[in-house]
Amino acid sequence: MLNLKTMSASIGAIALSALALSVPAKADEALDKLKAQGFARIAIANEPPFTAVKPDGTVSGAGPDVARAVFKKLGVADVVASISEYGAMIPGLQAGRHDVVTAGLFMKPERCRAVAYSEPILCDAEAFLVKKGNPKGFKSYKDIAVDAKATIGAPGGGTEERLALEAGVPRDRVIVVPDGQSGIKMLQDGRIDVYSLPVLSINDLVKKANDPNVEVFAPVVNAPVYCDGAAFRKDQTTLRDEFDKVLAEMKKSGEFEKIVEPYGFSAKAAMSTTREKLCAG
Amino acid sequence: MEWDWAFVIEILPTMIEGVKITILATLLGSVLAAIIGLGLAILRRSKNAFVSKPVGFLADFIRGTPLLVQLYFIFYVLPDAGITLSPLVAGVIGLGLHYGTYTAEVYRGGIDNVARGQWEAARACNLSAFQTWTRIILPQALPPMIPALANYFIAMFKETPLLSAITVLELMNQARSIANYNYRYIEPITLVGAFFLVISLVSVIALRWLERRYGRIEER
Repeated sequence: MLNLKTMSASIGAIALSALALSVPAKADEALDKLKAQGFARIAIANEPPFTAVKPDGTVSGAGPDVARAVFKKLGVADVVASISEYGAMIPGLQAGRHDVVTAGLFMKPERCRAVAYSEPILCDAEAFLVKKGNPKGFKSYKDIAVDAKATIGAPGGGTEERLALEAGVPRDRVIVVPDGQSGIKMLQDGRIDVYSLPVLSINDLVKKANDPNVEVFAPVVNAPVYCDGAAFRKDQTTLRDEFDKVLAEMKKSGEFEKIVEPYGFSAKAAMSTTREKLCAG
Repeated sequence: MEWDWAFVIEILPTMIEGVKITILATLLGSVLAAIIGLGLAILRRSKNAFVSKPVGFLADFIRGTPLLVQLYFIFYVLPDAGITLSPLVAGVIGLGLHYGTYTAEVYRGGIDNVARGQWEAARACNLSAFQTWTRIILPQALPPMIPALANYFIAMFKETPLLSAITVLELMNQARSIANYNYRYIEPITLVGAFFLVISLVSVIALRWLERRYGRIEER
């Protein structure tokens, strides 16, 4: 009984602090708060090379590395990451659980309406992971919609899930796969015909799995190239603007390139487009 | 965060699809648990230690490990041994096995409750083991167990969201995919709670009735 009481008390405390955090703060105050607390809370997905957690718990990946570098220049010493489902990131951001999302959350018009994105950071096209030789010949999301038996796996709330649904694949043939390892396992076991992720993520996964029976098809026909940005709360545009300023300097000085290129991302792709273009769809 | 009734109406049909799967999984899981439990209980009473000991160990092992781990094992590890089950089948087997070990204890209690004289009388009448079980022991042991069994089935019903971990599109998974698509959690998750509450409350009323009907066999 005592346990129950303390538990409900702590739940109450968590709920209260969540409430306190969701009270809109002015953005320059937001930066001051991050400086004072010494770290920014970022949301990641553990999908290398976008975001990765090493076995010893350190957070890397191109997204968090860029965020860490920018925040350092802004006077925030470090970033602390929590792993989240893609679909849960924006609600989590709005609920004050994260300060910023740096997870390869690609810019799309409906996401731009929900959050304040920075300028583009990581760009990638979409890819399919299929059985060796691509036996069913899938080249686009449409092909999967047309085949009445084909199933596609994608991360829950990710861009690929949405692309598949929008191409007309019915809900019960779009399997929500919790993580990359499960995805490749389900493909090997024949539970899904296609596993879809961005090109670089799939390549990373295939390299680690080292299975000669699967192959990558990329880029997916008719799927656009997407870029992500650091996503801030809608009311923290001043913080976002500060972030953008530092990011632009880093892009100019070549520092940005040095961070993202080793992961396989093209700095040029990110620099040749803008938030405005990507958010317009 | 404000509540949006239009959104609720929009997502309701999808949620009801999820409820159907949840109820289906619970019903199939309950049938399986009832059968597995009975089998375990009878085998565990065997006089042959080579039967009763391994069965007892197996039951303790399954009861002592988390259902979520078992589901992962059935869904992701068994395919390596050449057994690939559909998500729902894997989920039903997981629920049935796990809760079968609990219902086995209920059966054991019920069987132990049958007076010793009944066993002796059966032997005196020269009944076979099969006849003793089906004609004498189980008809007396089962009715008092029904409320306790039903209790476990309600508990199982509330565990079905775990099936979302192995990609079964049940109520919780439907709600999550709706939330993921629309960046709104408040309506779908509240609806999940409401559906579970309504079904649980109805089940509890049915359980009370079962208790009145079968619970106190001596008083009848």
